[in-house]
Amino acid sequence: MTAFKYVLRDTWRLITHHWVLGLLTLITAGVMLWILGVTTLFSLNLENLLSKLESELVVQAYLKRDNTIDVEKITAEIKTLPGVANVKVFSPSDSLAKLQEKMGSQSRALDMLGDNPIPWNFEIHVNNAVDVEPLVENLQEMPEVDDVVYAGMVVRRISALSSVSSRAALVMFVLSVIITALVVYNTIHISLYSRRDEIGIMYLVGATRAYIATPFVLEGTLLALLGALLAGGGIIAAYFPGTVLLQNSLSFLSSSLITDRNIIIRFCLLLAGFGATLGWVCSYLIVTRFINAITKPL
Amino acid sequence: MKVIFSGVTKVFEPDIAALLDVSFKIEQGEFVFVIGATGSGKSTLLRLMTREILPTKGVVEIGDVNLRKMRKADIPYYRRDVGLVAQDFKLIPSLTVFENIAFVMEAMSMPRSVVEDRAKEVINRVGLWRRRHMKPAQLSGGEQQRVSIARALANSPSLFIADEPTGNLDFHTAADVMKILFDINSAGATVIMSTHNQSIVNAARQRVLELDEGKLVRDEQRGGYTV
Repeated sequence: MTAFKYVLRDTWRLITHHWVLGLLTLITAGVMLWILGVTTLFSLNLENLLSKLESELVVQAYLKRDNTIDVEKITAEIKTLPGVANVKVFSPSDSLAKLQEKMGSQSRALDMLGDNPIPWNFEIHVNNAVDVEPLVENLQEMPEVDDVVYAGMVVRRISALSSVSSRAALVMFVLSVIITALVVYNTIHISLYSRRDEIGIMYLVGATRAYIATPFVLEGTLLALLGALLAGGGIIAAYFPGTVLLQNSLSFLSSSLITDRNIIIRFCLLLAGFGATLGWVCSYLIVTRFINAITKPL
Repeated sequence: MKVIFSGVTKVFEPDIAALLDVSFKIEQGEFVFVIGATGSGKSTLLRLMTREILPTKGVVEIGDVNLRKMRKADIPYYRRDVGLVAQDFKLIPSLTVFENIAFVMEAMSMPRSVVEDRAKEVINRVGLWRRRHMKPAQLSGGEQQRVSIARALANSPSLFIADEPTGNLDFHTAADVMKILFDINSAGATVIMSTHNQSIVNAARQRVLELDEGKLVRDEQRGGYTV
């Protein structure tokens, strides 16, 4: 307990004695984590927009006009196909009613057709755009299915965009994490480098490696955490006015943007946790390296 | 603490031989002066004892422990029993006099009250109580030397290594420092001190180890600065 108190006191001492370097570390960590947070939120919103578009993709399958076909069995079979989110079944009479409703005053033209020409059909929603084409192939292979209708070009474009955006988001996230880690690592490195003589003296007069390292690691963790909280505050302050602006100028985005305050606050808390972990890992690695180098006898 | 050097050679890269085949044995409670010209290997000899450096050849044994074989984790515990006064003081610049001295005891997790009492005692002993809140940069060279001595005293070490501890001091302060070192020695600690100060060596008449270009050229009981 006594050692713990000394360690906490030494951490505070490090921060206050070298406050300029500490402030530099805090600001750098804050700016980098803010960029990381904004990049991640941008990717999440883009993913959200694409998945909304994907969820609106519909494949329509029409059965053959054959009274012996077991519709329930086919429905169950379709539900088991890969990528299917949900299936709506329409009987010939339901479909006709729907069509009449759609045609409004011109629906009398349908009477000229005589018997209802529309067969049993299915409206199939998919999980992802990439699932559409394999699903269409599967449906076309079913002997009971007469025709499959879907927006082929749109599907292909959304599917390609979705795949590119997922990869781009991942690359952006990984790059942001690496850059943030490198910048935070180097800032803490500079801060520690200026104190390398102190570390050497501490070891020479009998302090253990853990006793020397802990305040430096705690300082790095604390500064990165404060930087992350600062970044989180900055994100909250900028994100909501930004989404309002976007929704006003691009109304089609209204339902696709993440606007739930709780989600954003949780995201910022996650960022703070990530910042603290990053600070801890970076300072631990640097301090260990420094102590190893300093304590190695010539 | 007993100190044994057996055939110790230290060569710094690329080929600077600082010590050549040095052997001696210092018994627990001895007072030993290490003398020699600048560059003769005195500081290297002392740094081998603190395990800041390791010998290229030979064995350094302190208190029956071969320093080369000492585990990394044991080094701090060993150093707590070695009081070191370095030529360049080795004080932590961001800490005050009091904090520098308290640090060595805090690193051993001593309770605050013990740390304060002991720090006060050793600071008074070197006459720096009024300077206790000052940082090393605000002190003269002699004062920094005394802080370094006070810090070395704090743990009541059984081996006291002093690299020219009177080098920056005037005659009276140097005499005070020597009195402190003799007191420590009287209490049972082994004291090994390197110096250029002829009058101190001549007046003390203690064991003298003389180095010349890395070689031990004299090991004399109750010796003077010159033969």
